[in-house]
Amino acid sequence: MAAKNESQMRTARIVGPQERVDDRDTPHPRVARGELGERLRQVRSTPSKDPFRRISVSTSATDPNNCFGWIMGNTPDGAVSPQRMEVPDPARMSEKIKEVAKFFGADVVGITYLDQAYVYSHRARTSQARGEKAGEEIDIPHRFAICMGIAGDYEMYKANPSRISDAEYGLGNARMCFSSFNLAAYIREMGYPALGHHFIRMDVNPIPLAVMAGLGELGRNGLLINGRYGPRLHLYVVTTDLPLVVDHPVDIGVEDVCKRCMKCARTCPSGSIPFGGKEVHNGVERWRINVDSCYKLRAFHTDKWETCLTCIQSCCYNKPDTWWHNLALWLIEAPPIFLRPLFVKPLVWIDDLIWGKKPSYRVKWLDYDSTYTPEAKPCKVPGCKVHGPDGKAKKAQAAKRRFSVQIGT
Amino acid sequence: MPYVIAKPCINVKDGACVEACPVGCIHCREADEQYYIDPEDCIDCGLCIPVCPVHAIFPAQKLPGKWESFARKNAGYFEMREPSTHSVKTL
Repeated sequence: MAAKNESQMRTARIVGPQERVDDRDTPHPRVARGELGERLRQVRSTPSKDPFRRISVSTSATDPNNCFGWIMGNTPDGAVSPQRMEVPDPARMSEKIKEVAKFFGADVVGITYLDQAYVYSHRARTSQARGEKAGEEIDIPHRFAICMGIAGDYEMYKANPSRISDAEYGLGNARMCFSSFNLAAYIREMGYPALGHHFIRMDVNPIPLAVMAGLGELGRNGLLINGRYGPRLHLYVVTTDLPLVVDHPVDIGVEDVCKRCMKCARTCPSGSIPFGGKEVHNGVERWRINVDSCYKLRAFHTDKWETCLTCIQSCCYNKPDTWWHNLALWLIEAPPIFLRPLFVKPLVWIDDLIWGKKPSYRVKWLDYDSTYTPEAKPCKVPGCKVHGPDGKAKKAQAAKRRFSVQIGT
Repeated sequence: MPYVIAKPCINVKDGACVEACPVGCIHCREADEQYYIDPEDCIDCGLCIPVCPVHAIFPAQKLPGKWESFARKNAGYFEMREPSTHSVKTL
């Protein structure tokens, strides 16, 4: 069900003026500066123990040239072709560009106007190849934002938190670099300016743009929730002046589900997702997660995993593309809003019954096992009784696994 | 701002906070009178607060005035420990 304009976005209501955010105030640059603690800064700047992680994040690699994302983040943009193609029918061009985006790997595509509120005000990263310096103002005068998402593999994400889900997450990041570069280059070769924004070079905030482009709604976990893929989308954007026709925000019932489900809040290992109501932040009324505690948690588990995807894995929208999932989506979306609780409550109950209130799986892939538990390190407090072999902390870590999955051979 | 365990924990030492803490930053030796939160490791998630049966845990900035000394007591407990293990081993 398409909402007619942005004032009808139910999970992220715009209630006041929005200021542009400085990219230097986003989590990764803050971690690099040590603002979230020395421990986390060291972890982020130290090579990972896992080669999948080392090829997906340059700060975790022994040599950044082994990281595809880093290479793409330091690749200059090509020139705009002087031979501009005429676009007599922007609606037809929109259809075509969506098909091209899917050809380059996107699973979902939507188009919206580039609202300058969602362009970061200042750059956080330096790129000599592009002539960009950290701290300089960002100016993107483009009119449109083509918002895309690449879905993570459902089975691999079940392994969260582990090296298996880390590998899949890293691959998604690499794929979005490839896809955004190709689409931006394709548009430039048509004679229109275009910039690709992916995880290494993101001058815009992709989540609000994706909401405006109708790819889904903002969830309690602070992520975009798409009907078909749930929250397991890697979002990326191409901004351009190519004449296009925009899409509109949608109401797929995320507001009604997130109010009642609470799976992400219940399963978040750092308690970073609120059980309560929304807050107004920078002019937007939405559920607001604790980004700092979410990020800090990873510094303590690098022996086992490095990207926590628990709120993605546990989300009740995160399901395989099956008839019963599509039926559930229809049952939530189709009724008028005041009748939706009648359908949402039993569906959430069924979801809890089948997948559990805290979904947990055992997944094996290659030589990885998601239940791998590294040998406990000696406690830093000599004689500590809580972290010893019989300590309470040890017992609390033993999680029940509901399902077992083998991927590949 | 880390969390601090204050007076109500003394001689109670229920330990529910230890099970709730996702990063293992709460410590206690047999002879200690209470549990202590390592301010360097605490990630400020607050998961320990609702599980404490005696309401002994507070954010440092909201610590009741009468228990202000417990912020120093918590931090001081860890100054006695072995050298920091925070440095991550390189490959």
